[in-house]
Amino acid sequence: MYHFIELLAPLARAKAYLDPGSGSILLQLLIAAALGAAFAVKVYWKKIKGVFGKKEDAVEPDQPSTAEPEESESKK
Amino acid sequence: MKQIASFRDPSGFLFTRDGILYRQVNLEYQPHYDQLMVSGLYKTLVDKHMLIPHAEASVAPMEKSIEYKTLQPVRVPFISYPYEWSFSQYKDAALTTLAIEMLALEKGMTLKDASVYNIQFFEGRPVLIDTLSFEIYEEGAPWIAYRQFCQHFLGPLSLMALVDIRLQRLMRVYIDGIPLDLTSNLLPGKSHFNMGLELHIHRHAASQKKYAGKGDEVKVKEAKIGKMAFQGLIDNLQNTIKGLGWEPAGTEWADYYEITNYSKDAFDQKKNQVADFIIQVSPTSIWDLGANNGEFSRIGSGKGIFTVSSDIDPSAVEKNYLESRNNHEKDILPLVIDLTNPSPGIGWENAERDSFIERGPVDLAMALALIHHLAISNNLPLPKIAEFFQKICTWLIVEFVPKQDSQVQKLLSSRKDIFPDYTEEGLEKAMQAEFKMIRKEAIIGSERTLYLFRRK
Repeated sequence: MYHFIELLAPLARAKAYLDPGSGSILLQLLIAAALGAAFAVKVYWKKIKGVFGKKEDAVEPDQPSTAEPEESESKK
Repeated sequence: MKQIASFRDPSGFLFTRDGILYRQVNLEYQPHYDQLMVSGLYKTLVDKHMLIPHAEASVAPMEKSIEYKTLQPVRVPFISYPYEWSFSQYKDAALTTLAIEMLALEKGMTLKDASVYNIQFFEGRPVLIDTLSFEIYEEGAPWIAYRQFCQHFLGPLSLMALVDIRLQRLMRVYIDGIPLDLTSNLLPGKSHFNMGLELHIHRHAASQKKYAGKGDEVKVKEAKIGKMAFQGLIDNLQNTIKGLGWEPAGTEWADYYEITNYSKDAFDQKKNQVADFIIQVSPTSIWDLGANNGEFSRIGSGKGIFTVSSDIDPSAVEKNYLESRNNHEKDILPLVIDLTNPSPGIGWENAERDSFIERGPVDLAMALALIHHLAISNNLPLPKIAEFFQKICTWLIVEFVPKQDSQVQKLLSSRKDIFPDYTEEGLEKAMQAEFKMIRKEAIIGSERTLYLFRRK
C-alpha cells in the first residue's frame, strides 16, 4: 500500500493527506474518458443553443438550494 | 485550546482562545491559501454563500514555528451533523460540495477532501466551513476526494432514497462515511440500471475490492485524467444526486397539524402565549424540541432569534427544511433528533463530533406537547426529564398535556396506565428540584397548560 502511494504521489497530490484509494483512482481512469466526452457534448450543445438565441441555464452550477427546489419531488 | 476535530489535515487547525474561534494556516499550505485568495475563488464562493467568510487576524499564533496566517472565521451558531439532517438538507449539502468543486476547477483549484462534516448550515444554506479544503489543481490529476465524496454523500443519499430513510443513521456508525461495499450490498437490484449508482457505487466498490492493497502499478503511473474528464465526473455525480428523491409522507408526524383536535382559537392563544414568554426571556438562541414542522419555532426565528427546530420524525423535518428553504429563512435550523437517544459523541476519543447535549446549553428550550411522549411512550420518570432539561437550558417553556387529553389517551389506549404521577402537580413537583416556575398559563379552549421555568 505504501509502495502504491509513493507511485501516485509525484503525479497527483504531493501533499494529499487523504488516501485516495487505488480502486477509486483506477475507476476514475476507466470512466473518465466517457464522462468527459458526455460533458463536452453537453457544454457544446448549450453553446450552440446559445448562439441561436435560446436562453439556457449556465453550465456553471448554482447554489442547489435556490437552483433546484423542485428536485426532491421525483421518485418514491 | 486546539480542537480535536481538525487533527487530520496538516494544512492547519482550529483553536479557540478567549472564546473566539481561529483557524491557523500552516506554512506548508501557503501557496494554496494564496491561490484561493488571489484567484478570486474565495470571493466567488463567499458571494454565492457557499464558503464561510473569514478575516485574517492579527493575534499571536497558536503554533508559531509552522504558522503562515491565523484566520478568524465567521462562527456557525450551531454545528450539526449529517445523521441529523433531513433528506433535502443532505442533498443540498452534496450539491453544494460539487458546485464548489466545479467553481474551484475554473479557478485552477480543487477540493482535496469532500468530507460531509465540512458542510454546515449557515443562515439557512449549506456552506463549506473548511477554508483549507482547496489545493492547486495540477492538470491531469484525478480527484483525490472521489472515494470520500461517494462514502460521505452519494452512498447515504442513495440508501435513503432507494431503501429506507432511516439508513442515514449508518452515518453515526461510520465516521468516514458508509463503506461502498456495504452500500452496494444494501441497494436494490434496480440501482444497477441507474448509470450513476452503477458506476460510483457498485463498480466503485468492486474496483476497491479488486485493487485492495495491490495498486496496479503500471496503470497508476499513468493515472491522469484531463480537465474535461474531471468536470465530466463531477457533472455526472451532480446528475446522479439530482436524480435521487424522497417524498415525506406516511410517517408519524407529517400530518400532525392536520389531524390534531386543537381548535383554531386555542392554537392561536398558544402561539400568542409562547410569543409572550419568548419576549419575556429575550434569548439569544432557542432549541425547539419536538418541533414537528417548525410552526412554533418560527415565533422565535421570525424575530431573528436563531432557533434549532428538532424533531424525531424525518418527514416533519423535511417539510420544515423545505419551508425554510423556500422562504429563505436564515434563523431556523431544522434537525432530526431523537431525544430518547440523541446523537452521541463519535470518532477519536468520542470527541471528533460532539454529542447533542455537548452542543448546549441553550438560553431557552421549548418542549411543547413533548413531555407526554417522553413520560408515557418512553416510560421516563418526570424527575429524569427535569434533570435532562437542567443540562441543556437556562429557560424552559413546557406545554403540559394532561391525561384526559385525547392525544395522551391515544398513547394509553394500548397499555396499562402506570403513570400516577403524570399530573400538573406531579410535573411541578418534579421540576421544582431543578427549576423555578416563573409563569403558568392555561390554554383557553383546551385542557393544556403552558409553563415558563428558569433554571435554579
